[in-house]
Amino acid sequence: MLTIYKKELRSYFTSMIGYVFIAFFLVIIGINFLFTNLIGGYANFEYALSGIVFIFVLLVPLLTMRLIAEENKQKTDQLLLTSPISARAIILGKFFAVFTIFLIVMAITCTYPLILVKFGTVSLATAYATIVGFTLLGGAYLAMGLFFSALSDSQVVAAIISFIVFIFTVLMDSIAKILPTDNKSAWIIFSVILLIICLIVFLMMHNLTVTIGTGLVGELLLTTIYIMQPTLFDGLVVKVMEWFSVITRFDTFALGIFDLSSVVYYISIIFIFLYLTTQAIKKKRWS
Amino acid sequence: MYDKFNLRIKEETILIEVKNLVKRYGNHTAVDHLSFTVERGQILGFLGPNGAGKSTTMNIITGYISASEGSVTIQGMDVFEEPEKVKKLIGYLPEFPPLYPDMTVKEYLNFVADIKQVKKQEKGQMISDIMELTKITDMSSRLIKHLSKGYKQRVGLAQAIMGYPELIILDEPTVGLDPKQIIEIRDLIKELSKKHTIILSSHIMQEVSAVCDTVLIIDKGKLVVSDKPEMLTKHLGATGSLKLSIRGEKDKVIDVLNKIERITKIEEREAESEDIAEITIYSKEDEDIREEVFYAMCDAKYPILEMQTIKMSLEDIFLMVTNVDNTIPKDTVDSDSKVEEKEIENSEEENNHVDNL
Repeated sequence: MLTIYKKELRSYFTSMIGYVFIAFFLVIIGINFLFTNLIGGYANFEYALSGIVFIFVLLVPLLTMRLIAEENKQKTDQLLLTSPISARAIILGKFFAVFTIFLIVMAITCTYPLILVKFGTVSLATAYATIVGFTLLGGAYLAMGLFFSALSDSQVVAAIISFIVFIFTVLMDSIAKILPTDNKSAWIIFSVILLIICLIVFLMMHNLTVTIGTGLVGELLLTTIYIMQPTLFDGLVVKVMEWFSVITRFDTFALGIFDLSSVVYYISIIFIFLYLTTQAIKKKRWS
Repeated sequence: MYDKFNLRIKEETILIEVKNLVKRYGNHTAVDHLSFTVERGQILGFLGPNGAGKSTTMNIITGYISASEGSVTIQGMDVFEEPEKVKKLIGYLPEFPPLYPDMTVKEYLNFVADIKQVKKQEKGQMISDIMELTKITDMSSRLIKHLSKGYKQRVGLAQAIMGYPELIILDEPTVGLDPKQIIEIRDLIKELSKKHTIILSSHIMQEVSAVCDTVLIIDKGKLVVSDKPEMLTKHLGATGSLKLSIRGEKDKVIDVLNKIERITKIEEREAESEDIAEITIYSKEDEDIREEVFYAMCDAKYPILEMQTIKMSLEDIFLMVTNVDNTIPKDTVDSDSKVEEKEIENSEEENNHVDNL
């Protein structure tokens, strides 16, 4: 794992991407810090950070797109996967390398609240809690980006998929608000989602019986629950959407609340996507 | 008791055992029930036309892709059950050398040594030894993307040797190299075979016959022949036929030849001039009739201008066994002549057409 970590980290700094990412990120945080805190006169650093969560959408794909797609393209995955090293170690090494780059940015950001102290009373606890939240949010996006990089041989495709999904996570909150909250439409929406899942299952496995089986069992389950306890479906779509909305969780940090459940949430997201990436790499053997 | 002892020896000498290997991609079967064993210290050559399943088989042995059916065991360990242990025993040079273009040769080999878990105290020495062996020492501080194809191939080879694994698998190691480099790589492979077991693939017959102890010819994923290269030429290559050019009238020459009992078949070939008979004669495979023919012609006073035993080269054997009906060369000739015939017909029709006008 350490070998992969070192190699990835070095490659970020032999190419320009590492420097570009760090510089660009710092510039944006700096500008927002300048306008919100220094010129705006707010003592809360968390406002500066919560205003710029959207830059993950732009910058994370830049950092993560090459991680696995490039190995696939250069066929160096053949070297990695035929070496005595597990897929999990490869993925963890890569993730920690990319996370380290992001940590460099956050380490520098840690000095900003201290600058504010010079001008008056600043709640350092909330400021640093927000920085922790921001770091975790970044980690979640990086893990997602890593996963999308494993899906393709092309960096461009990986970047585009990440970009679309990230935009969706930002907009999720607004989309959830316009969706109906009554239980019947919730049932319909879940049925449609089930249909999409079945389609994906079919595309991945090319097995008609499994697909139809999943569809029937899922639909039966949905309908039974709907008939037995229709109230369960009240507002469920919105709830589920909000659960997937990575960014809304960050709002609690920005409000100055250190919510442990959000920390657990982000760490779970990271774990889930790292696991999925490992599976995606292993699956390649079977195709 | 004796048997048991014998069996144990056999187990120890066999390094790889491939059993009933099948790989399917959708409806296409890339490898079709392939079985073979490789003994320790052998050089095994995989030979087959492009798309025969060579690379797929190698990828399965190295654990890069999985088999649909069958098993691969190396030193008694299954590739799929104990992948990490097995992978320690293998060095692999895939079809495209897996290089990082932005690293220098030294950095790259350092990285490879690390992921192959070479011990720290041995690493430095091993890297310089291997660079010396593959003759890339001069290039050690160059970026890989600036290297020529030949050097890239060598760096790939250096990567495969790293850690001195028991088994080295090379997928078309000499592709894209100039003749001098090819000879160097072949010598290197021979050098390596003193300490390692090697599997290499190629679609070039001479290469395999020059280097390998055993040749495995596969076609469409199936094992066609597996034997020593010299045995292949001996068994499959012997045709027992003689090609003759004799000065004299054709019919009379054939009359003389007919008197030799051991000749089973006489075939005329197109002659360049009328007073020279061009003839191919056949006998049983293991009989040498050259002297008999010589004396017969001598007595009849027909001088032999040329006498040549026709032996199939490995190349011919390769073509023969990879085409189920060994008539492909003839077929191409036939179709060519057919084309010519058609052209003639066409021109005749045109002529007729002109006449009609």
